[in-house]
Amino acid sequence: MMDALANFSTVWLDPWLLFLTASGTLAGIYVGAIPGLSVTMATSILISFTFKWPVDEALALIAGIFIGGVYGGSRTAILLNIPGAPSAIATALDGYPLAKRGEAGEAIGLTTVMSVFGGFVGILALAIFAPVISDFALMFQSRDYLLLGMIGILLVGTLSGESFAKGAFAGALGVLIGMVGLDPMTAEGRFTFGTITLMGGIPYVAAMIGFFGVAEALVQLHTLGMPAIRQKIDRVIPRLSDVRRYFGLAMRASGIGTIIGALPGTGGDIAALLAYDHAKRSTKNPERPFGEGAKEGLVAPEAANNAAVGGAFIPMLTLGIPGDAVTAVIIGALFIHGLKPGPLLLVETPHLFWFTVGSLTLANIFLLIFGLTGIRVFTKIVECPKAVLIPLIIVLSAVGTYAIQNNPVDIYWMLLFGVVGYFMKTYGFQVGPVILGVILGPMMDANYRRAMIGARQDVGVFLWDFVSHPISLVLTVGFLTMLLSQTPLWPMLRARLRPRG
Amino acid sequence: MQSTPARRPGELVFAVAVLLFSLAAFWQAYEISGFDGLTEPGVFPMLATGTMIVAALFILSDTARRRPDADTQAVTRRFFVDILPIRHMVLIGLVLAYLLLLPMLGFIVSSALFLLAAFQYLWRRHVLVTVLLSAGALAAVYVIFRIVFQVVLPEGSLMRGLV
Repeated sequence: MMDALANFSTVWLDPWLLFLTASGTLAGIYVGAIPGLSVTMATSILISFTFKWPVDEALALIAGIFIGGVYGGSRTAILLNIPGAPSAIATALDGYPLAKRGEAGEAIGLTTVMSVFGGFVGILALAIFAPVISDFALMFQSRDYLLLGMIGILLVGTLSGESFAKGAFAGALGVLIGMVGLDPMTAEGRFTFGTITLMGGIPYVAAMIGFFGVAEALVQLHTLGMPAIRQKIDRVIPRLSDVRRYFGLAMRASGIGTIIGALPGTGGDIAALLAYDHAKRSTKNPERPFGEGAKEGLVAPEAANNAAVGGAFIPMLTLGIPGDAVTAVIIGALFIHGLKPGPLLLVETPHLFWFTVGSLTLANIFLLIFGLTGIRVFTKIVECPKAVLIPLIIVLSAVGTYAIQNNPVDIYWMLLFGVVGYFMKTYGFQVGPVILGVILGPMMDANYRRAMIGARQDVGVFLWDFVSHPISLVLTVGFLTMLLSQTPLWPMLRARLRPRG
Repeated sequence: MQSTPARRPGELVFAVAVLLFSLAAFWQAYEISGFDGLTEPGVFPMLATGTMIVAALFILSDTARRRPDADTQAVTRRFFVDILPIRHMVLIGLVLAYLLLLPMLGFIVSSALFLLAAFQYLWRRHVLVTVLLSAGALAAVYVIFRIVFQVVLPEGSLMRGLV
């Protein structure tokens, strides 16, 4: 316990780490707020810059960016009606109407306080449940990891994007990208076409930066000349009565956010939408109707998306399965630092876990400070024209990709993935599942083969294992239910079960 | 969400390309170890590429069912308006030139050229403004990444030791 406390406070006592967390949070707010820059983009680029740092410093910076970035999107959603990040889509629905009434400052203040509440709930859940889940996860067999990986990709594939088929394709494409190179078990080349360049595999940072950085920059190129709208800002500190009034809702929304965040593959954006829906249904008499500036519609999604941050760390640190796209990128960072996220992480490197919890908590406190100050300066910077932003994103992406291995080939991969990602996004594919596939693919492959060897290469035994062990059975049922709900079979079944009338 | 009844220009071609890519990838996956055993290195790649083929078939049938545009000519025209306008092609071309020059000219020179060209093309301000902006941005990137983050930036084979 004392050890945990000591590791928890490391980041609080070291001035350099304190500074890194603070600047990460501040930078995160801007990254999240500026449309066209996303947290995923920023973390994937940053990882390539920080990989030579000690892991503590890199983690402190990334924790700040993550917490600040998830919140930052709300600011542009309120001020400009442009969600700076997908997790702020729900915030714009009621935040912008509030701003049009001249209550932008108050809306930002309330959002900040509720985001911080949500953040604490998520972090608390992380601190309490991660050790429990980690103990539990030691009982997981190879097949369970295989199932978890498939569930993760399936969830991202189903909940976002146009159709399930597109999500499934994106996930499988990611797995394929992850397979390229020498097979870790037999050292046989896979998809290498006999070239030495491909034997080392496709660097996943190049894929991440390509899909999240370059592709996004190309998408943003369509909306080059968006006019900016200026808002009046007066009171920022929220009324105590408001905080008290919406506290209950914020707590419920945080609960939703934590759970959604903890589910593999789903993150703040879905958490926010679900919490918004919950607020809409549970509030009988809102002060103003939803969509016209209901504060409930502001509080719920913002509390939920920040709670999802803590939640997303749970499966990542305990099972090695990212909770969302950002944690998928962070897992990449941990790999680079020679760490293996999974059930043994808490056993082998408990200090790292408590350090992460500590830096997230600290970042959340900085969020409160930075969230309530500097809003006027902020409105100026956010108006940075995209014509300036896009070339800068590309230069940063190139430098970031190059920095990983100092290999010029990597930046051609980055451009290729950027262009492919642009077309995928344009035709309604999600690129999130691709990255998840790249990260989870090799893990799933290894676990599949271990499970198959365990079953002595007997398909019958292999399949029987999936239903004859309690943990596997639960996961199998979960996986099949999700798969079934996406096929035409489900509506047919439901129509038959429902009495006609 | 089935709320997009009309087909986007070029979507059918993309769906066919997705299917062809999946088939080629499956063939390559089969080449790794064939159907020799259940724990061979090629099994999981075959599962992944197999999933891609099935998904691609669904995507193709879904796309083909949607309402197409009037005629091929209109589709081609709209493709170059909605999906790949000149602006995108120019920028992708600029990025490609940038990446090709990077190993030769080094980070500073090639980035300066790229930023200048891209700012000038996208922003269309006075040359002096874009020159100052490029220089400022480059200086900021250099200070933050070379000095603070200590990242190794490409030096360039033609400029070795100069910049």
